Amino acid sequence: MKKYWLVFLAVLGMILLSACSQSTIPEGAETSDTGSSSSSAPAEGQEVIYASTTDAVGLSPILTNDSVSSSVIGQVYETLFERDPETLELVPKLAESYENPDELTWTIKLREGVTFQDGTPFNAEAVKYTFDKLRDPATAAPRASLLEPVEEITAVDDTTVEIKTKYPYGSMIAALSHSNASIVSPTADEKQDLMKEPVGTGPFKFVSWSTGDQIVLEKNEDYWGGAPALSKVTFKVVPETSTAISMLQTGEVNFLDALPGEQLSRIEAIENVEVTKQEGTPVYWLSPNHNTERGQNPEFRKAIAAAVDRDAIVEQLNGLGVRNDSIIGPKVFGYSEAAANGATAYDPEAAKQMVEENGFGDEPIKLLAANRGTFVQMAEIVQSQLTEAGFDVQIETMEWATFLDTARAGDYDLTFLSWSNVTGDGSEMLYPNFHSDNVGVSNMSQYNNPEFDKLVEQSRTTVDQAEREKFLNEANELLLNEDVGVVMYHGVVTSATDESIKGLQMDPNGQWSLYNVTRE
Amino acid sequence: MVSLIIRRALQLVFLLFGISFLVFSSMYIAPGDPAAIIGGPTATESDIAAIRANLGLDDPFLAQYARYIGNAIQGDFGYSYQTTQPVADAISVRFPNTLKLAIASMIVAVIIGILTGLVSALKQNSLLDVSATTFALAGISIPNFWLGALLILVFAVNLQWLPVGGMSHPFYTIDGIKELILPAITLGTGSAAMIARMARSSMLEVIRADYVRTARAKGVKESSVIWIHTLKNAMIPIITVIGLNFGFLLGGTIITEKVFAINGVGRLMIDAIAARDFPMVQGSVLLVASLFVLVNLIVDIIYTYIDPRIKYD
Repeated sequence: MKKYWLVFLAVLGMILLSACSQSTIPEGAETSDTGSSSSSAPAEGQEVIYASTTDAVGLSPILTNDSVSSSVIGQVYETLFERDPETLELVPKLAESYENPDELTWTIKLREGVTFQDGTPFNAEAVKYTFDKLRDPATAAPRASLLEPVEEITAVDDTTVEIKTKYPYGSMIAALSHSNASIVSPTADEKQDLMKEPVGTGPFKFVSWSTGDQIVLEKNEDYWGGAPALSKVTFKVVPETSTAISMLQTGEVNFLDALPGEQLSRIEAIENVEVTKQEGTPVYWLSPNHNTERGQNPEFRKAIAAAVDRDAIVEQLNGLGVRNDSIIGPKVFGYSEAAANGATAYDPEAAKQMVEENGFGDEPIKLLAANRGTFVQMAEIVQSQLTEAGFDVQIETMEWATFLDTARAGDYDLTFLSWSNVTGDGSEMLYPNFHSDNVGVSNMSQYNNPEFDKLVEQSRTTVDQAEREKFLNEANELLLNEDVGVVMYHGVVTSATDESIKGLQMDPNGQWSLYNVTRE
Repeated sequence: MVSLIIRRALQLVFLLFGISFLVFSSMYIAPGDPAAIIGGPTATESDIAAIRANLGLDDPFLAQYARYIGNAIQGDFGYSYQTTQPVADAISVRFPNTLKLAIASMIVAVIIGILTGLVSALKQNSLLDVSATTFALAGISIPNFWLGALLILVFAVNLQWLPVGGMSHPFYTIDGIKELILPAITLGTGSAAMIARMARSSMLEVIRADYVRTARAKGVKESSVIWIHTLKNAMIPIITVIGLNFGFLLGGTIITEKVFAINGVGRLMIDAIAARDFPMVQGSVLLVASLFVLVNLIVDIIYTYIDPRIKYD
């Protein structure tokens, strides 16, 4: 008898052993092209371990469009321009300067003496290669639309690129600051899969990726701006936020971002952890379905806006929301101070009256909410406020992918929409969300107004930035006057770091750079 | 025995066909477009259409299914829509972690379960029995995520004896064992409780049997009465519960994997469902189903060793 048990255990043990021996082979190859044997184990030195709830989808800027991938991509690759986190101005990065000989031409001078991490020189050919690949329909890039207006790209000489557009493209420089427009090494892209082994010009280079577990980067000694202080950066996947916070407490990780409001007080209570909050570009708004009879009724939209107490909602967010009426937020190009209080104010009495006079309470309203972030919380508060005004509101919550489908199809009366705005440009907010070109796709509110469309088109096809700002102000004002959406709050970007970490740069769009980070 | 294995293998083939069809059609019917998720919220209609075409999602349902099955038969389980990684690779990286976790939990469950069941059967209605039965009830009722979070707070954050999460060391090292302790207790408690209940009732039944009384009357030592005469004969239902639980553990580690940041198949499956990553869902479900069948087969084979009267031929 005993013997059989032993056999059974031995068999189990063997299965286990053989299975585990596989796990010791790292997924995703080590950097094989550098030839230096130390590359897989970065020399001792300062390290930062960052935790995110999901894994990166891939490490090619051309083929991905999710925030975790962007976080890694932002350390490995660089864009031609970037938005200064302080001044919010677009400033050159891999570019040196640009000029417009005419409205359809962008001549961009590139920085000299930059090389990719694989030794390939960074030049006009690399820029042309990257952008041509991004806009090639065969690539099926998620953000090919960034360069949709581009007609042709020419490498004039080694450090000059000329981009010709089909029509004047006002947000060109903003588009080129998008992480999806990061420049990739052409030789590496032809040789290997950048989704798994990225090669850019950034301050950190790729070491290894064991999918679902962690990504390791190391210092790029040859970085054109001088090598970073950190010698190693690890991106760890910790799906449960409360586990990640425990790990922050024990030092198993030392950097978290996008902190959830309900955990904020716990994180702030941890000694030796520093929490930063700063106003960001994301915006969250309540939207009627503009493709329904009620949604097209200005009285109905006004009644909704008057019934929703936005101050009460912002109060519930533990400091993770900024109250401002404007759809184009304070940290986005095209914002105007005048719009801050430009929407229909909270007035429960007026709302009650409108509901009563028009019989808006007779037919139930379906309030659609995705079950993530703050959407469900907002839905509950808004439901009670609307009920107060006499509306009959029923909440329907659903998981994200289903929500996207449902909202795109316009199968709702009211819903919460959001936009993170990576480029920080107002056109990049108004065009996808409210222009009739995008109804049923990114324009989930189904809004369709030729007058508004025209203003947005002008903001996109004007190269003069001051002119653009005027068009964006006007378009934004029009949305507020017509109660097209009720802004709940503007996002706050957050980070929690071990107090030894200094010099972390957080951008208003939630992305960050570890280049200047040191540990003390 | 051989014919049993062949029979089960044939059943498995049909089972897998059935399951793959069910999974494929339910993913097809489910709302949510994988291309829209890959594109992200900022993708335009033409961006999404290009991705759809690229993934072959515009083909009719049966054509997609036939293509999948055709490739699967040749051992090609396709590529993840999300990461473009081969499904087989993604699973083979994660499966060892899930297996480690399931085996460690099973060890915890079997040791605690059988000992508790045994003690409470031998000391029926004593204080020990009552506390053991209470433990069993509590063990079945406590939700995994709560127990996991509690253990983390006590043993990892406050006492700092064990790491909070992750599974990156080989299991035979000290660090590897440390990583396994909390998840194994979290996941194993429920099974331990079920095994304890089964062991108790099964032992109580056998301990009253005539041959046990006879053995005692003949003056057999009490320890051999319990370990040889009683436990062995009480083992059949216990093994059944262990086998079933092991099958569930292999497929049901999702919450524990999430709480302890373990890179396993359960998490892979949930993430794939959320992203509508059809090939990945399909691959991991087929793996879990095959394992369930395999574990059941092993249990059936073990029966014949415990009770030689059981014959399959």
